[in-house]
Amino acid sequence: MTPAIPITEAFLDRLRQRDPEALAEAVNEHARALYRAARAFGFAEPEAEDLVQDVFTTFLEKLDGFEGRSLLRTWLFGILHRKTLERRRASMIQDRTDAIEDVLESRFDERGNWSRPPADLERLFLSKELGKLIRVCMDGLPASQREAFVLREVEELETGEICKILDVSATNFGVLIHRARGRLRDCLESKGWSRS
Amino acid sequence: MITCKEVATLLASDQVQSQIWWKRMEIRLHLAMCGMCSRLAGQLEQLRSAARQTREENEADAGLEDRLIRRLSRR
Repeated sequence: MTPAIPITEAFLDRLRQRDPEALAEAVNEHARALYRAARAFGFAEPEAEDLVQDVFTTFLEKLDGFEGRSLLRTWLFGILHRKTLERRRASMIQDRTDAIEDVLESRFDERGNWSRPPADLERLFLSKELGKLIRVCMDGLPASQREAFVLREVEELETGEICKILDVSATNFGVLIHRARGRLRDCLESKGWSRS
Repeated sequence: MITCKEVATLLASDQVQSQIWWKRMEIRLHLAMCGMCSRLAGQLEQLRSAARQTREENEADAGLEDRLIRRLSRR
């Protein structure tokens, strides 16, 4: 992951004046990661590109509201998150009705000891099928859990930045990532990870 | 004493680093002694590396930036 660089007021002024070089700089620096995240959120190729264009269009329209102290990357990913929610209204409903029960919860007895221990995943993880399997399992995640997982594990962003992007507290992020991982582990185990 | 459930929850929710030092120490000791929890830690690490494998196929083609700049410049 490219280190995030705080945006300067001078750079913002160039963007406000529609300086083509500043625009190119912003696109060259961030479009690829935004596109990759949009694809990982489940958008097909043409829609992912359209979404990234939409992100930059909104960014240019709302430049005056941009706080120079923020990172440009955080701001752009925040717009990507909101656009994703707009296009995934059905998934948001699914999120709200997502069972409160914790996936991990069912694995412990009342004393907090493992009753259903984690599977030994090594055998399957070494296989070439793994990439395919995890993509299928990611498709089954509710939208917000999927975003939290992709930003943390695929894009390798820090928790603090993800909280700003998703507009959630650190505790809420912990719940999202915890549930995403639990669901993915359960899904992968059901697809062949041995339980030893 | 810390339970497996507590350790597993802290691991899976990325909260280990935000714990105070003695709690982190307790978690490390627990992981050193508990095969199930250390297996979970390994599983989470494997999940992470599997997720990163998906990056390559989600990469855009080489012309993405040029197309975007061209379209955005027209506005």
